[in-house]
Amino acid sequence: MSERIEIKGFTNATLGWKAWLDVVSLDAATPEQIAVLEESHPQAKVSDYYLFLVHQPEILKQRSVAFNAIMYAPGGMPRAERELGATVVSRINGCVYCASVHAQRFEQLAKRTDAVIEVFTDPQTAGTSERERAIVQFSIELTSHPERVSPASIQALKNVGLTELEILDLMHSVAIFAWANRLMLNLGEPIFA
Amino acid sequence: MILMTNYLPSDTIDRLIKLTPELSTFTVRHQRDKVVAATQKSEEGLFDPTLPGLTLVERLLVALLACTLTPSELCAAEYHQRLVHLKVEQNLLDLVKRGEIEQVTDARLRAMLTFSRTLITDPVNADQAALKALPQAGLSTPEVVTLAQLIAFVSYQVRVVAGLNAMKLLEQQA
Repeated sequence: MSERIEIKGFTNATLGWKAWLDVVSLDAATPEQIAVLEESHPQAKVSDYYLFLVHQPEILKQRSVAFNAIMYAPGGMPRAERELGATVVSRINGCVYCASVHAQRFEQLAKRTDAVIEVFTDPQTAGTSERERAIVQFSIELTSHPERVSPASIQALKNVGLTELEILDLMHSVAIFAWANRLMLNLGEPIFA
Repeated sequence: MILMTNYLPSDTIDRLIKLTPELSTFTVRHQRDKVVAATQKSEEGLFDPTLPGLTLVERLLVALLACTLTPSELCAAEYHQRLVHLKVEQNLLDLVKRGEIEQVTDARLRAMLTFSRTLITDPVNADQAALKALPQAGLSTPEVVTLAQLIAFVSYQVRVVAGLNAMKLLEQQA
């Protein structure tokens, strides 16, 4: 990683996470639980987050399929921009853990940190281009006020050149972090190295 | 071939926003069919009547509260209708729709709704004490996971609905 960022309690450093209630122990896990862990994430078997959620394996499985399809599907919105959307949502919701992970992914894909520094500093004005600012504004609106999202909100994205598939990918990325942030925030806490 | 007049989508989100195959918003949405399928299967899993633990009525009441607070009229109407179908008493539905959770008499349900309210309106303040109130109210850990996933899923669903609905309305203005 190029430079460590620490702004307003948010960071791009690698954090841990621990659950507040009992996790499933691998020794006691059913074959179904093991299979779902393996499908969900390469590190799921050593992650408190996945070991906690696997108390309900079928629900975790569908969440993981949705998450991976949204964040990694080819075509449509560039993956760096999906990660930017995820970082904005995590910043708005106050999810320090998710913000750190997705700030890192943005950096890896975009090969720069400027937009992350801006999002951490002041999401309302963040974005290094018109296109990025429109993506950030839409991410904030859909996170904070989904009831206000209107045809004009969509038109604003089209005006800076987003295709309908890119807009769909952005909506999905924002929405899946409404989901992810709420799990990370309410089931445990980040651990700072 | 699909007859438009008879088109009855089995997909909840398509049905809620009347997204039919002749609309370009429908075509775009279904370019991400893996997401469409996993979203629908998530909903079906979370509201599976045979899921052990939280009753279906408890889960639907949590969803109704989450949609009411967000707010999402379309999704709130959907969960309200499912509760009416299960003949849940109107008084309880009214309390949830007005957000008067303190007046819910069942302590276990009250604890679930209180936790849901925090997670929807103020997720950053969902602290350890808020979570541990659930086992104290008698919920097992798998039940806590169901509840947390349910609230988080509905937070996702209302945003997908809001975004797609805006896209559809823009298309229809053109």
